[in-house]
Amino acid sequence: MDQQTLDRILSTELVSLEEPPDEKRAAIEHLLDIAVDAGRVTDREATLDALLEREGETSTGVGKGIGIPHAKTDGVAEPTVVFSRSSEGIDFDAPDGKPATLLFMILVPASGSDDHLSILSSLSRALMDDDVRDRLHAAESPEAVTDTLMKAIA
Amino acid sequence: MSERTVTIVPEDGLHARPASVFVETVNEFEATVEIAVDGEDPVAANSMLAVTSLGAGHGDTVRLIAEGDDAEAALDALEDVLTTPESEFDDE
Repeated sequence: MDQQTLDRILSTELVSLEEPPDEKRAAIEHLLDIAVDAGRVTDREATLDALLEREGETSTGVGKGIGIPHAKTDGVAEPTVVFSRSSEGIDFDAPDGKPATLLFMILVPASGSDDHLSILSSLSRALMDDDVRDRLHAAESPEAVTDTLMKAIA
Repeated sequence: MSERTVTIVPEDGLHARPASVFVETVNEFEATVEIAVDGEDPVAANSMLAVTSLGAGHGDTVRLIAEGDDAEAALDALEDVLTTPESEFDDE
């Protein structure tokens, strides 16, 4: 993934350092609304349905305190990643039982073929690094979050 | 140490439900299992994050490496998971 694509997928307006609600469904809506406010979502209801349907299949808690709710839906016009973090953590039914403190929402258009898998795998690979997770927890500005991710992914 | 190469059958690849069943299956065995996609370093197969990081899609080939007393049994079970079409996961 090149720098320009990444800049567009994860712009600073898609990064929130405010505390999200501590319950999974509410947190998912909170992340979705950040994408809505940034003008990325054309159909909020369809997008929420797609996200919840995916959560119903298996939860998107992947362990190490990370939750990656995601959906492939016509409710968005372009690939979008939203970031938020929770100090207490949110129960995302992770296999290791750890609550999710770093939250990434991935939204890709239904026509986006494999975008969704490639974003998911690039992000997961970056997040396997303890140092990357520490820096995301410590980041004091949206720019620090996007910088950390850009460096880790690129 | 035992190794096996498997081509992924589920349409969405090693992701979502198949990935979570895969990780659960790894954890049912004593053997230490790693998984790798072509030309890349193996990662821990019992970590959902690591498995997701592979980005292994339908039709991709992965290498499974198992070490331990029940390594062969683990590989048999994991091969089953990776070669079961997604529609059959829904029936469980």
